[in-house]
Amino acid sequence: MNPKTSEAIATDPETPETASQLPPELDVVNVTKCFGHFIAVENISLTLKPGTFHALLGENGAGKSTLVKCIMGFHAATHGQILIDKQAQEINSPRDACKYGIGMVYQHFTVVPAMTVAENLLLVRPDTPNLINWKEEYKKLQQFMDASPFKIDIDMPVSQLAAGQKQKLEILKQLYLKSRILILDEPTSVLTPQEADEVLGLLRQEVDAGRLSILMISHKFREIMAFTDEVTVLRKGKFAGHGLVKELTVADMAAMMLGEEREAKEVSKTQVDSSELILEVQNLHADKDNGFEAISNMNLTIKSGEIVGIAGVSGNGQRELVEVLAGQRARTGGEIKVNGEHYTATRKEMARHHVFSLPEEPLKNACVPNMSVAENLALRTFDRPPQAMGILLIFKAMREIATNLIQVFSIKTPSPEALIGTLSGGNVQRAVLARELSADKIRLLIVANPVFGLDFAAVEYIHNQLVVARNRGVAVLLVSEDLDEILKLSDRILVISDGKFVYEGTREEADIVTIGQRMAGH
Amino acid sequence: MNVLSSWRSLSEKIIIPIAALILSLVVFGIFCALNGTNPFAVYSVIYQSAFGSAFSWQGTLVRAAPLMLTALCTALPARLGLVVIGNEGALVMGGIGAIAAGLAFSSLPPLVVQIAMAIAAIILGGIWIMGVGALKYYRGVNETISSLLMNYIAIAILNTLVEGPMRDPSSLNKPSTYPLLEVNWLQSIPGSRVHFGLIYGLIACVIAYFLIQRTTFGFGVRTAGGNIRAAKIAGLPVGKLTLAVCFLAGSCAGLAGMVEVAAIHHRANASLNTGYGYSGILVAFVARNNPLASVLVAILLGGLLASGSGLQRSLGLNDASVLVFQGIVFLVILFSESMYGKLDFFKDRQVPPKITPSTQPIA
Amino acid sequence: MAAETADWLGVPLAIIGGTLRGSAPFLFVSLGECLTEKSGKINLGLEGTLLTGAMSAYAVSYLTGSPWLGVLAAGVAGLCLGAIHAWLSQRSGVSDVAVGIAMIVFGSGIAFFFGKAFIQPQAPQLPIFEFGAWSNYPPLQSALQVSPLLLIGIAIAPIMQWFFKSTRWGLYVRAVGDSPSAARAMGISVFWVRFLAITIGSFLSAIGGACLSLYYPGIWSENISSGQGLMAVALVIFARWQPMQCLWAALLFGGAQAIGPALQSVGVTSFRYLFNASPYIFTLIIMIITCSPKRTLAGSPGALGTNE
Repeated sequence: MNPKTSEAIATDPETPETASQLPPELDVVNVTKCFGHFIAVENISLTLKPGTFHALLGENGAGKSTLVKCIMGFHAATHGQILIDKQAQEINSPRDACKYGIGMVYQHFTVVPAMTVAENLLLVRPDTPNLINWKEEYKKLQQFMDASPFKIDIDMPVSQLAAGQKQKLEILKQLYLKSRILILDEPTSVLTPQEADEVLGLLRQEVDAGRLSILMISHKFREIMAFTDEVTVLRKGKFAGHGLVKELTVADMAAMMLGEEREAKEVSKTQVDSSELILEVQNLHADKDNGFEAISNMNLTIKSGEIVGIAGVSGNGQRELVEVLAGQRARTGGEIKVNGEHYTATRKEMARHHVFSLPEEPLKNACVPNMSVAENLALRTFDRPPQAMGILLIFKAMREIATNLIQVFSIKTPSPEALIGTLSGGNVQRAVLARELSADKIRLLIVANPVFGLDFAAVEYIHNQLVVARNRGVAVLLVSEDLDEILKLSDRILVISDGKFVYEGTREEADIVTIGQRMAGH
Repeated sequence: MNVLSSWRSLSEKIIIPIAALILSLVVFGIFCALNGTNPFAVYSVIYQSAFGSAFSWQGTLVRAAPLMLTALCTALPARLGLVVIGNEGALVMGGIGAIAAGLAFSSLPPLVVQIAMAIAAIILGGIWIMGVGALKYYRGVNETISSLLMNYIAIAILNTLVEGPMRDPSSLNKPSTYPLLEVNWLQSIPGSRVHFGLIYGLIACVIAYFLIQRTTFGFGVRTAGGNIRAAKIAGLPVGKLTLAVCFLAGSCAGLAGMVEVAAIHHRANASLNTGYGYSGILVAFVARNNPLASVLVAILLGGLLASGSGLQRSLGLNDASVLVFQGIVFLVILFSESMYGKLDFFKDRQVPPKITPSTQPIA
Repeated sequence: MAAETADWLGVPLAIIGGTLRGSAPFLFVSLGECLTEKSGKINLGLEGTLLTGAMSAYAVSYLTGSPWLGVLAAGVAGLCLGAIHAWLSQRSGVSDVAVGIAMIVFGSGIAFFFGKAFIQPQAPQLPIFEFGAWSNYPPLQSALQVSPLLLIGIAIAPIMQWFFKSTRWGLYVRAVGDSPSAARAMGISVFWVRFLAITIGSFLSAIGGACLSLYYPGIWSENISSGQGLMAVALVIFARWQPMQCLWAALLFGGAQAIGPALQSVGVTSFRYLFNASPYIFTLIIMIITCSPKRTLAGSPGALGTNE
């Protein structure tokens, strides 16, 4: 135990005794939250005992985020109460929550990229002085930083911090606000396994020392088993179970989370004669949005009937690589060949070489939100018969093809004419899947984080589609930040770090420890 | 239910702009009342001098013709997601091209001269706005700012030419070029004093609508305008589309310049730059960049422009009141943009009580 | 002989004098736009604000006899126009660029409508500091006539720089402009921060208008601004959203504008319209050089142009 740390958390001179006290107890009593007719959370209760690490487990859409947003005062609960030290409290805004010592770290970063670490810390204080005496503030911030569990250079602009450091800064912000109860929303989703262990380990020490209570949203069983004391499980907005982690197994928790035992119906990979080279990337260079180099001197080959998985922490050049291959970004050097021919991602070349892609965030990357489902489904084929005659569009043919795809891929839409932007995320994903996977012939498929934010069934569906495509002889490039996904699907695994491949191996010889270290750049 | 919901969305698209125009009239009326003018007298004068008689209808249509053309200069690039407001500059460049061709080929048959004038105006205006598109695509220069700067540059070029190389020495107080021969003027539609420019405007709007809505080219434009990242993933040549659309946009405004030169002024001088370009932006905004709707809006706004002198004559409102009114219409129309999808009246009332995933917050 | 050298000295002196006179409006508008854009919204309507500011300053100065009241009136007019822009451009589904265009039309409409009566009369002008009084060389004397408004503008630039760095509200503006979602998570009201930044920015630009009508050229006419409000928007991009660099850029633009009149003053009148258009051409060239399609500009507020 570090005596300095306790001082830092209790820098407020008026309450010197808080350090020795445990954080307050937080009780959620019968909370229900409805959005119109939709019940996001129904009658949930949980208790966060002082000085414990509590996990909130559930699938995407189970209501975890909604529940904690009710605690934080983002949403007003439709029914139910929040008790702090057994007293019912009105929490109407995150500011109110802050008053009771509750702070939240969001899934997405809430730091301001253009500012330095010091400016970001100062900004979160509810009592930021009107005129800032930087000399004095620096001294105080430096003291705080010296005493805190994480170390970051306070002069660094946040835009230059790695993802792990940004996540540490998010937690530091809460410690700086003297929060005693931390709510973490999937805090490790952007971290390498090692970084995640480091952050959670340090937080665990703070909990053990009685300085913090933590409620962590997660769906990673490994982290829940290793770091938390208690777990509450939600399923489809309802309470699905609770228990002490030491008394539960992963199988118990999975059963609570998924309801019935769901056997993953995996499509097995078949042996494909993979002698044919489809994609060849030679000495590729590309820049980031800010003009700095994102990928340098990259080489990559993919054969037919092979899934090549690229693992890495986000922001290491994988997005730029996908964008160059998909035609969204100009390369600054090197060459790309598909089927042995020079490839610059023009429409003609895409059609000739049968190149398709499933980018991340399909609504943002692959759809036109204010055009209809039918038009979006026709994006690859609208200028060819039967959907076009010369320069004329044939709307009847477009509609027929769309109706068929909507049925085959079970896209839930009121009509083919509905704007695709009005569909739910999962159905947008299905529409893109329908467009990109329905072609008679596919040679190369570029896939990036294909299941981000989808529920269990949709994930299984998409993963199976990818394996089916691979078995048909398609060359698949799979870029994902989810290491489990890479390990599950890939035939060959590469790790990208700082714009370069730093690891390559087959699935059989893959070792999670080595891959994790490479991801972190070691 | 589908029929009903599409009917509702169509009625929303029609009723909101009309309501916005009525609200602008009310606001302008209040503005006039505050300045001591009876708003109802104002409305009546506007109506009389815009649509009150066959004579005033003709004056309105004469003004609507260039507006239809300049509106396309904003409406077409808008479908690509570009806010181009270089209408005035392209119009001026078109006027310069037209007068140069009209004077150079004056001895040829009138039809040939007019075709040459139109082609010169189309090319000059087109290249002018294509420059804006090229700067946007190849250099990332904000198209709104560059096109507006190019308006000033075009006017400076016009002034330089009419005071220097192209000046007619007999034009004393208002430097102008030599006039067109009378046989080369753009004629009026028989039986009216409305010139053929109106037909040009109508045809251009119909072609533009067809091109955007019914062709593969238009599909590409709408895709790139709706989401450039999706367009790139589909391999669409965004650069070429940008240049082509900007050329078409500029050529329409250039043609408006030719119409003004050949039918109204018969020479080029500073009167070319009288605000048809800026009013064209307003037409495109009110019509929500729909070329067919632009025709209607251009006629309405043409009527308003025609009423300017009437307001001055009979009510003593100065001619800037028309500009104030345009500003008010602009602001109210933008306000109405935020009302789409918000009024319960236009929503489907048979909202299924069952939970649709789209209403679910992102968990 | 002496007269000849004086003439040759006349051109650079006229340019210096023109720079000092002509940069004041650029400075105010660019500082106003800088504040606005730092909050993540763009205001193209400052052209209209400039005109309304020039008109109201001139009119009030004429009616009351006090040019300083005129400056105040310009500021108030700027606040009103800024409030319209700030409110309208933050409604959902409304683009700030479009509102800016509308505000150009509306602002110039208001300015021309109410300004008609003031085109003829001569309004009292702001006092000027004669920094060249020690010299008996008239071109130098006229070159060094400096308006107190210019000095105020020069003082505002470092103050704004300090404001962004060392005040709570400065940090708020930057946070809102760079990452509205982060600002919202911290409980900052994005709407009000932007509202204030836009209205105060508009206030400053309208003061720039007062520089035009009460200092240089010191008249009210309908083409008095001719795009300066717009050039200031380009200038802010060139200055990379740094108030101090806005100051240098404003001087540069003022200088570019002074070239045409300076040449005319010594009798070079051919292509005078093209020379007068040089600021526009210059602005365009600067934008072509500064911008790049491949990367976002360093210093650009993250939310600019995203309608977020």
